[in-house]
Amino acid sequence: MNAMTRMLLERLGGLLLTLFLASIVIYSAVLLTGDPIAALAGGAKPTPELIDQIRLEYHLDDPVWARYWDWLTSAFQGDFGRSFVYKTDVMTLVAPRFVITLQLVMVTVLLILVFGVGSGVVAAMRGGAVDRTVGVLTSLGMALPTFVVAILLIWIFAKTLGWFPVYGEGDAGWDRLWHLVLPAVSLAVLFVAYISRVTRGSLVAQLQSEHVDTARVRGIPRSRIFGVHVFRNASPQILAITGTTIAGLFAASAIAEVAFGLGGIGSLLVQAAARADLPVVQIVSLLLVTIFVVLNAAADLWSALIDPTSVGGRSAA
Amino acid sequence: MKRTGIAVGAVACATMLALCGCTPRGGADPDGDTAEITLVDVLPAATQPVDDVTWAIVEGEPATLNPAASANLIVPNLCDNLLSLQPDFSIAPGIAESAEFVDPVTFVITLRDDVAFWDGSPVTAEDVAWSLQQNLNPASQWFGAFALVVPDAAAGIVATGPNEVTVHFVAPDSTFRDAIAGQGGAVMQKAFGEAAGQALGTPEAGLMCTGPYELAPGAWTPGGDIVTTANEQYWNGAPLVKTLTYTFVSDSSTLATALTQGEIDGAINVSPGARAVLEGDGAGTLTVGHSTASYSFGPASATGAGANPKIREALSLAIDRDQYLETVANGLGTVQKTIVPEFSFQAMTEAPIYQAGYDALAEPKVDLDAAKALVEESGEDTSVPLVVAVPAGAKEFAQTATIMQSAAKQIGLDLEIDEMQAADFGALFYDPTKREGIDFVATQGYLETPGVLGYPSLFMLPADQGGVFNWSGYDNPEVTQHLQAARNAVDEKTAADEFVAAQEIFAQDYLQVTLAGTYQLTYLNDDLTGVTTSVAAYSSPWALHLGGE
Repeated sequence: MNAMTRMLLERLGGLLLTLFLASIVIYSAVLLTGDPIAALAGGAKPTPELIDQIRLEYHLDDPVWARYWDWLTSAFQGDFGRSFVYKTDVMTLVAPRFVITLQLVMVTVLLILVFGVGSGVVAAMRGGAVDRTVGVLTSLGMALPTFVVAILLIWIFAKTLGWFPVYGEGDAGWDRLWHLVLPAVSLAVLFVAYISRVTRGSLVAQLQSEHVDTARVRGIPRSRIFGVHVFRNASPQILAITGTTIAGLFAASAIAEVAFGLGGIGSLLVQAAARADLPVVQIVSLLLVTIFVVLNAAADLWSALIDPTSVGGRSAA
Repeated sequence: MKRTGIAVGAVACATMLALCGCTPRGGADPDGDTAEITLVDVLPAATQPVDDVTWAIVEGEPATLNPAASANLIVPNLCDNLLSLQPDFSIAPGIAESAEFVDPVTFVITLRDDVAFWDGSPVTAEDVAWSLQQNLNPASQWFGAFALVVPDAAAGIVATGPNEVTVHFVAPDSTFRDAIAGQGGAVMQKAFGEAAGQALGTPEAGLMCTGPYELAPGAWTPGGDIVTTANEQYWNGAPLVKTLTYTFVSDSSTLATALTQGEIDGAINVSPGARAVLEGDGAGTLTVGHSTASYSFGPASATGAGANPKIREALSLAIDRDQYLETVANGLGTVQKTIVPEFSFQAMTEAPIYQAGYDALAEPKVDLDAAKALVEESGEDTSVPLVVAVPAGAKEFAQTATIMQSAAKQIGLDLEIDEMQAADFGALFYDPTKREGIDFVATQGYLETPGVLGYPSLFMLPADQGGVFNWSGYDNPEVTQHLQAARNAVDEKTAADEFVAAQEIFAQDYLQVTLAGTYQLTYLNDDLTGVTTSVAAYSSPWALHLGGE
């Protein structure tokens, strides 16, 4: 078995184990937090009879492990439960909203890659005044929480200039993209600053390393040094952090979604939590964990492909 | 019915609290004189057709649109009630041409013969009887209004003719007619309802009603929006708006921006905190209308200092109502003397009697010395802190609790604030174990139909006689007797006299300390007109006359 296959299998095993453990933790934690009766009664005045009926119908008095087992076996059959509040299948609730969050994250990632990695590269290559300017801007960016940026953007671009809409996700297509611009920018600012600094830091470290000095002494052209030696060596670190960042975006998007009235999974989670809609909270939480774990694994794998030595010395075995 | 301030749409998130905090507020009214506000209960009917209107529902997405299970601002445009509630809270004929007691315990409803459901089938007496029978189930929101109907559905509510339904009572009920002008009198199709079963009103099953807007199958995207279309065959004239879409925005700052930018056309119950933004330059105008809504707090248990009327009176004497109004309602409200608001009886036949009874009550005033004396007199141990529960994430309630806390401090009481998640706060209202360790619960409520007995029945009657929120175990035989006599009265004057007699007594026992009455706040795009802007919107098709100016 070569190192790559072995790493893949290890990763896959770890991933499944993580998801399994996460599902147990999420399921039991969510169950222990709220009393779902009010949500289940659907706004009706819960009488003792109705409460008893609900407890029976939703097996609320069964032990947690029995309910978890029911939930898990149903999940394997594609039934993830029904929303306590809307009484509909949770997947019909989550799927369309996931698309919106995915689109928001994709626009945000584009911004992060272009402006974050871009500014980091420029700062590392040019140095001097450019580097210092980028440094000041990224410090500022990292100090601005998403909701503050959201308020600023709404005030400047929506209220004062009237360029962008402030509310909702619009219709699919260009209208959607237009609606996603401000939320994506508000979400991206912090991460652009962060990725820019990481990129710059990794590149500068490589630029100052011995093998780059050696390459320079040997007269290898600057562009080639940068492409082959500096960027390739720095990229695993940049990628790993970018991967984690993207994974985190799915959760962080809640703030932008709420501020701009986007119907994504983040705002769904916030809503569902407030109304004790436990099946929805469980699924969305599990979805977020899955995305996080999968994206992290993907980032690792990608680094391994770029730089097989990062898989480690165990390949000799 | 008391609608408690379970802030269903309120979302607990520190970030969003911060967002709310950023909405400019206060200072919009330069001299702070609330008397200048002109109250408007309905905007002129529209004359121009409009294709699409987007409406924001600030309370968040409902769990169901079943009129028996849910009170929200969407149902009234979908399902007609038997009688038609007018913006001034008077009652006019609706689907029922007439609905009257023919003897003290027999109520006869005569239906119009030209009303059809959305699918074109005519409304029959069977449909109406079935719809009313839904409220004989204790799970119904309107169960209390049907408490005196003969409980066996088949004997109590009977179709007695092609266009006639008869309701039999175990005792006379002076409140029933008012109740069927609300959703207790909502008319649904029997066949559709029976086929849908428990799922009636959910996104999957939908509804079959007669209202001016139709809910087509699949028109409700759960977690998204609800798209309704004009009922072209509506018996009272088709609406001018072709498509009315409801969207759900519970963040008041996001909503204020979307409204003033014209991205959302209108909303009812916008936050008074956003007054300055909504009254400033924007796509629409803020209309202030009459309401029955009020903020209050009351005791949560039969033990502890909160259960002592003297402590409650002392707190009442320590809270400056004008300051409360300015802070919590941004000046958009009125000082209210007692739990039953004036607008609830304004259009009733015996309004002068009710008004005289209200006017005779003492005006709330600040008197710290008297308050301190009451605390002393009460004999309660003031070293034990009192606890007030409020829903978390709702600014108005956070302010209410803070005002209560500082008032308590001034009279030597120690008050702690317990901010509870919406679901936990909701549980307080039916689960006594959740109320342990809590002395007061602060709520906001409104009455969706005319009548004065709703609140007193819930808060002042003994628990076994309907006082489900009577948590302090208040039991005054005189009050109970007057309230029962008012409900069982066969003429309106007796009902009014009995109520006033009960109010004279219970008002002094501060079972709910009323903090302020608030106005109904409606924001509407300037291109549109025709909506009901009073609290009657909760029980009438407020968008029937909506359209272009």
